[in-house]
Amino acid sequence: MAKELTKPLEGLFNRVYDIFSIVDRLPDDMTDAEVEGVLHVLPTDLRRTMSAFLAPRLREASLEFLRLIKRWLEGARRAKEEGKKVVLVPFNFPPEVIYGFEGAWPITSEVLTTLGVAALEGQGERYWDFAMGLGLPDFACSANMIEVGSALTETDFAPDIVLNDCFASCDINSKTHEFLARYLGLPLVFLEKPPDDTPRGIRQYYRYFRAMLSDLEEILGEKLREERIREVLDRANRASEFYWELWDLHKFKPCPVPNAFSLMTYGIRYTMWGQEEAVSAMEKLVKIAKDRLSRKEYPAEREVARAWWTYTSYYFDMPGFFNWMEENGITHLGDGLDLVFPRIIPLDDMDSMVEGMAETARNMPMTRQMGASSMSAQWLEDIIWATRELDADCCIYCGHHSCKQTWSGAAVVRRELLARTGIPTLVLQGDAWIKRMTSMESLQEQIKEFVDNVVAKKREGRRPTRRKPASAAEAPAG
Amino acid sequence: MMIDLQTRASQIETEYVRKFKEEGGKVVGYACVATPVEILEAAGILPYRIKAFGHPDTSLGDSYLSRFNCRFCRSCLSLGLDGTYDFLDGLVETNGCDHLRGMFENWQYAKKLPYFHYLKVPHFFREDALEYFTEEISLWRESLSRHFGAPLEDAAIWRAVDEQEALQARLRELYALRMRKVPALSGAEALSVICTGSSMRTADFVSLLDGLLGDLSERKVEGFRARLMLLGSATDEVDLVADIEQQGGLVVTDALCYGSRSFWERKGESRDPDRFLAEKYLGNLFCPRMFTEYERRLQFILDRAEEAGVDGIVLVYNKFCDLHGVEAAALRVDLEKRGIPVLVLEKDYGSQSDTGRVKTRVQAFLERIGK
Repeated sequence: MAKELTKPLEGLFNRVYDIFSIVDRLPDDMTDAEVEGVLHVLPTDLRRTMSAFLAPRLREASLEFLRLIKRWLEGARRAKEEGKKVVLVPFNFPPEVIYGFEGAWPITSEVLTTLGVAALEGQGERYWDFAMGLGLPDFACSANMIEVGSALTETDFAPDIVLNDCFASCDINSKTHEFLARYLGLPLVFLEKPPDDTPRGIRQYYRYFRAMLSDLEEILGEKLREERIREVLDRANRASEFYWELWDLHKFKPCPVPNAFSLMTYGIRYTMWGQEEAVSAMEKLVKIAKDRLSRKEYPAEREVARAWWTYTSYYFDMPGFFNWMEENGITHLGDGLDLVFPRIIPLDDMDSMVEGMAETARNMPMTRQMGASSMSAQWLEDIIWATRELDADCCIYCGHHSCKQTWSGAAVVRRELLARTGIPTLVLQGDAWIKRMTSMESLQEQIKEFVDNVVAKKREGRRPTRRKPASAAEAPAG
Repeated sequence: MMIDLQTRASQIETEYVRKFKEEGGKVVGYACVATPVEILEAAGILPYRIKAFGHPDTSLGDSYLSRFNCRFCRSCLSLGLDGTYDFLDGLVETNGCDHLRGMFENWQYAKKLPYFHYLKVPHFFREDALEYFTEEISLWRESLSRHFGAPLEDAAIWRAVDEQEALQARLRELYALRMRKVPALSGAEALSVICTGSSMRTADFVSLLDGLLGDLSERKVEGFRARLMLLGSATDEVDLVADIEQQGGLVVTDALCYGSRSFWERKGESRDPDRFLAEKYLGNLFCPRMFTEYERRLQFILDRAEEAGVDGIVLVYNKFCDLHGVEAAALRVDLEKRGIPVLVLEKDYGSQSDTGRVKTRVQAFLERIGK
């Protein structure tokens, strides 16, 4: 039935891949006139996205980033052709673990959804609608359901294995992928994180991690090779060093790091970490930010607010979100998905490398916060750490409809953050990947109102800070 | 007796609980069927299963949780915050689902109960998970013993296990009466009984059931159009079941966590009590939170449906329930493939605004299945 409802060669992955096939043809030094020419022939939704990415201050980084994504998509295609297995992972699973296998290639559910929303005419809505037509609930997460909806049509490029590590950190994510695996008859590999950050809980997680690796080895018919893992992790380590350098660059005022680098950073992290492309893309972001710093460049007359987004951002209107904010003096310092806490993994032997990967996986976004002993406590601790590190003066919670686990802790986090640090949080509501839920205009209005009336007045000392004489937050472990 | 039970089943702090407290007893709340109540029983504590009975006011809960969180959890949280649950001496959290975790965390954040323990339940059944859960039970046992000064010897645990087995046997008898060709009690009555018992010590509930089973042996519930099975998410809404039954569909069995899923196939093998409880609870947790166990859950439902000879299944879940919401899409297809008509009923917990819609949909379903 699915095949009757969708045309051949459709599907999110296939369509996105087709669009990205032109990326290599874009010259490095595109002029504004050339950009205008390109934008002129693009359909509306893609034109908006590209207008954001090809803004002069972002152009060089964007081209590097888009090429990286193209190579990632191409890698999946090629892997299929060569008889390798394509493994669908969620964003909170480190892809370098999959790159450790000769015969596997990772594709990431939420990244594919975001690419579909950013690049496709009509964004991802047709795939969401298809999933709803199968009876899946309308409170599911669009970040997963758009990509999964496309896979469920059985007309798209399909994974060979589904890997999920979201139970204990996101019910809807784990159930959606379990449904997909069962519906398509695919092997399902899983990794649980006990919501337990005691040494015992961590030991158990490592144990589960090793069991997950064994399951992968069995399905792939391939043992992890020490030399290959070392090469992959060496590249991951180099990318991690650039990640921390970029993090530090956010501390300057005004912030020399463009807002969209937040998205690009985790776009790189969730796709090609462990590949050479990730190292050079991260290096490029750092270089551009340093150049901007030396030139004291900032897109607005002055930096009015330094905002930390406590969980996700919005992805259905790149210029309306990232670019609009910085053009209005609102720096997007990063969001919860940037909290990937990359670590330099010792490459001494297989044990240290496997443990390093496990520790990395344990500290990926969402796993680390929502999978903690307390959902709100670890999340709060990380936000306090990030806001202090980067001297944020406000926080914004995106309020993605389906994030029930973060909604469960959002009130405590907002209250405690204000009490302990004096930082106010704006709580928005909307779907981060579907434009028809809350319009970007409405979101902009709320953000502007918050910045003008709460943040700016606080900066100018016209609004008292309701801070308790609380104990200093500690830098998060890891 | 049945009418008395139905009245008792709508109270949070029952006469039984009040009396138990007056006599110096301690009461600890829990919410999820993954909680081995034998530990609490062995400590002399009353294991009180958190309920809201369709309590419609969620205003206090809403100041901590959001409208995107399940309303059952918001209702329970509201009752926790408005003082209704002040008789509790402690809470045991389990990671049943994202909403439930939020409910417990916020409850403890706002109220700070004297005893609070987080029992972490794995999401799959495998030896490594079983070992972890065994340790979890041991740690809980230690914590409970320390806080309440109860020795919690193995022998006391085994006695509690025996009592639970006696209870399970009685509940299966009750369900047998329910599943008879001419049932002895309605679905709403059965739910009332289980809800009443979930606020009692096991031994007392067994005595109550002994009396009830005798009373019901000759009773007949007639005049219904169809035999239905009810399954889905946490449902302590006796009124919802009564609404369904008023349309002519008698709920003769269920696969609810306030129903058969809480007692049906509960057993363990180990001679170590903690390991035994881990096997018993983790190995028989027919909840969509358990990963890779869909086929077992489906079989459990098919078995219950077959033995009760149902004409159709009503699959009910609360809005925003991720686990049952996704599961329902798969179950509907798989059950209908086997010739069992299914009504998927998404509803808002405790909301009067859903009553009319629910009734209409049940009426239409009964028409669809030719009843």
